[in-house]
Parts: sequence; structure tokens; C-alpha cells
Amino acid sequence: MNYPNELKYSKSHEWIRYEGDVAIIGISDFAQDALGDVVFINLPAPGDEVIAGDSFGDVESVKAVSDLISPVSGTVLAVNDELEDSPELLNQDPYAAWIIKVEGVTQEEELLSADDYEAFCAEEG
Amino acid sequence: MSGLNRTSLYDAHVAAGATMVDFGGWEMPIQYPGGIVSEHLYDRKHCGIFDVSHMGRILVEGEQRVAFLQKVLTGNVAALVPGRAQYCMIPSETGGVVDDAYLYIFEQEHYLLVVNASNREKDLAHFAKYLPEYDCVLKDITFTTASVAVQGPKAESILKVLTGGADITDAKKNSLGCHTMEGHTVYVSKTGYTGDPDGWELFVDAADALWLWNRLVELGANPTGLGARDTLRLEAGLPLYGHEMGTDGAGEEIPVFAVSLARFAVSFHEDKGDFVARTLLLAQKEQGTPGKIYPVALIDRGVMRAGMDVYADDTHVGWITSGTMVPYYHFDEAGEILDTTGKRAIGFAYLKGDIQPGQIISVDVRGKRLKAKIVKRHLIQNQPPYARAESN
Repeated sequence: MNYPNELKYSKSHEWIRYEGDVAIIGISDFAQDALGDVVFINLPAPGDEVIAGDSFGDVESVKAVSDLISPVSGTVLAVNDELEDSPELLNQDPYAAWIIKVEGVTQEEELLSADDYEAFCAEEG
Repeated sequence: MSGLNRTSLYDAHVAAGATMVDFGGWEMPIQYPGGIVSEHLYDRKHCGIFDVSHMGRILVEGEQRVAFLQKVLTGNVAALVPGRAQYCMIPSETGGVVDDAYLYIFEQEHYLLVVNASNREKDLAHFAKYLPEYDCVLKDITFTTASVAVQGPKAESILKVLTGGADITDAKKNSLGCHTMEGHTVYVSKTGYTGDPDGWELFVDAADALWLWNRLVELGANPTGLGARDTLRLEAGLPLYGHEMGTDGAGEEIPVFAVSLARFAVSFHEDKGDFVARTLLLAQKEQGTPGKIYPVALIDRGVMRAGMDVYADDTHVGWITSGTMVPYYHFDEAGEILDTTGKRAIGFAYLKGDIQPGQIISVDVRGKRLKAKIVKRHLIQNQPPYARAESN
């Protein structure tokens, strides 16, 4: 399992990094492995509000559906449309396959460093 | 996972990196590291192997074994000859399904009945109510034997290496045989749960399971978990107990004839005589059932899941009983299989009222009404060696 140091992680298994004021959000390697083959993603639209700790979409694997939880509050600036046709990119390279970019961030959930997140995942099994 | 049963192949699954889950009281591989989608696709183009040793295997012996089986199963057991198998159901006294099963006559002196893992104990308790009236004995051989399904276009060439080139069985579905493969006794049945035109199910002593599994892998077959077993059977339109049989979304028993396979699984032949729920089943056949199981293809983007509510216009008409997204291979105009793939959201629904093939319904997917269509089938299975996606 891969936990890049330059990213922060939520306990609901999203990763986040900033480019300037814009938050870029995806799901972690642990999350994609637990989901199994991702076959569908429901994305928000640019302009939608997202709220820290709330669902902003969902991913469907062959086995089940999981909510995507936003680690921040703000406004969706962009969504990764490529995932609509190729959601398997989330399995192949979860840290390259960003899901949304959020601007105007007003609030942030409690985020973990790579080391703390790795320990958290080890506990979750 | 303590207290769970393990098959003879448990160590092989763990060594292969499988994700193990509790399935009907057994610790089973849901998938191997390649994942469900690649396992599904490999089966359709090459050959998948499945550890189905968790399924209940019951030998039915005794002078009155035919009379007993006629009583508790839906099929005409007297019409089954040695070397053949038949699909059947175990009807409940109220016209529903206790379980579905496959009945085999490998050897004249007894029948082999294979039932769902999660229902084995329930089935045996149900049979025990009727057994005292018959000179018939049931022997549960689940734990002393093993079973492996070998399915897909390459299944025949792989198995023929083990038979030394001899035909595995007659070409006809439900044909049986027995071979000595590399010194091991292997019973074979041309049956399966994938919809692949070619596929066999193998039965061996538990001690021979690991040899068989490893040889099949060496010969190019791919271990396939319960996840892909479920997507393959769903695509093939094959019902699963607990989903298309059992109870509906309101907790009511789904009648036997709600499942289209009942037409082949239930016999009212005079040779069969009376059997459990015969009168109720005859009424279901002649008058129809309030609800039926239909294959459903999602038109809007999304995924249907078991338990979701289904509407025709604005009337609630039933539930999705199984649903997921399945992958499929593209074929060119000449019918040759390509390397490119697609995926589609399909399922089954249990629907009441006047429902027609081609009808558009809507499915409540977590608060959103998505459009779906009642289809005739999801898979074309009569053009060997490949099963092909039906374009709905």
C-alpha cells in the first residue's frame, strides 16, 4: 500500500493536496483496494457546494457502493470527467486520478499525515 | 473468522492472495488479486476455475430413493437416466422454494444432489420430515469430497490434457462422465453457473482437490472468486437462492413459477405422482403468479442493487433482486472476439402486475429514479465457444 508523504488524508479515506488555494481531492490506495474494481462514479458539477464531512458523490465497485466524503467545505471548481468513462483509473493510479478540485475553502476536516494515516489504515485492517 | 468451514483448497486461496469472506458459513475467496472484472473477462475468453466445494453434496441411497426424490424435488426423477443430470427445485409446502439443486446419476446405485452451501442444513432438516416414510438414506459427503467448476472457451482443451485426449463428456449439456486423470478419479458433469457454452463441474475426493486445482492453474485456467461467479451468473440470467428465490422485498415467499427456469425444473408427469406443493405449483403454472423475475438493463448511468424499489409509471411494482455492473468483450462483425471491452449495469427484478419485455421501468437508486428496461436476456449463449453480450 502506498501513502505519499506530500498528501494529507481523511479518516474516510480521501486524500487532499493544495495547489495555491485550490484543494484537490481523490481516494487513497487503501480505499481503492478495499472497494475492488471501481465500475462507476457519480460526480458533482462545477459550482456545487461541498461540505466537510458530507457526501459529494459516490463510487460503485462490482461489490458495493461507497459515498465520497469531502474533507473540506467550499465550491467545486472542476471535476475529473475522465473518470466517468474510465472509473478504473481510481484503481490503477489513485493519486493521479483526482476526483474534484474545490475553491473557496472555508472549513477542513481533521486530516492525517501519511504516517498517521498508514497507522490508521493498519488498525482498520 | 472462527467457526467457519473451510474447503480443501483454503490454503491455496490464501497463498494466491485471495480476499476471503464468510459465505454461507464458509470462508471463501471473493476475489483474487486480479479483481472481479478481470476474472470475469478471463472466464469469458479463456477459462475460469471456481472452488465450489462449499456447496452441499448429498448422496441419496436406498430402495425407495426414486420415490423419495419424486416427493421432495420438482423434477421427474424417473426420467433421469444414468450419465445425466437435471436442474430442480426443492419446493416448500406453501409453493415457494426451500432451495434449488442439481441432481446427478453418476452411478446406478445412488443419486448425488448438490445444494446451496447456506441451505445445506436447512435442506437436510426439510428432507428429514419426509424421510421416515421411505426406505432411503441421505449421506452428506460435503466434507469428504471437493468440487471445482472449469468454465469458458478453453475449458475443453485444458481438461482434455488431463483425460489424455479423451472426450470429457458427451457434448450435450447435463451429460456426465468419470475419468482417471493422472491416477486420480474425477467425476465430470457438463454443467455450470456461468452461461459459458462450454463448462464442466468436477467432483473429487477431498484429498485430490489440491492436485486438481494446481494442475488446472498450470494448464492456464484462472482462479475465479465468488465475486465473478456472481457477475457471470447474473449476466447468464441464472437465478440465485436468496435473491431470485426465497422471499421478496416485503418478506413474502417468492413462488416457484416466478422464476422462468421453473418451466424446465417442474414436472407434472403422471410418473412423478404427488409431490410437495404439487397442487399449488400446478395452479401457479396454469394461472400464473402475482409476480415474476425479469432480467433488467439499466438505461440511465448508474448501478442497480438488490433491494432497490422499482416503479412502473408511479406505481411501486417490485424490487431489484440482484444487480451490478458487469464487463463484456466486444466482437467484430464477423463474430470474432476482440480485445476491447465495455461494461453495463444489469440485474434481475421481481415485479408484479402486467409487465412486458421492452417495457421501461424506473429504479429508485438512492433517491434518484433511473430508467431501466425489461429485456429478454443479457447474454447470447448458443454461439460457441464464446458467450456474447446481448445488445439491449
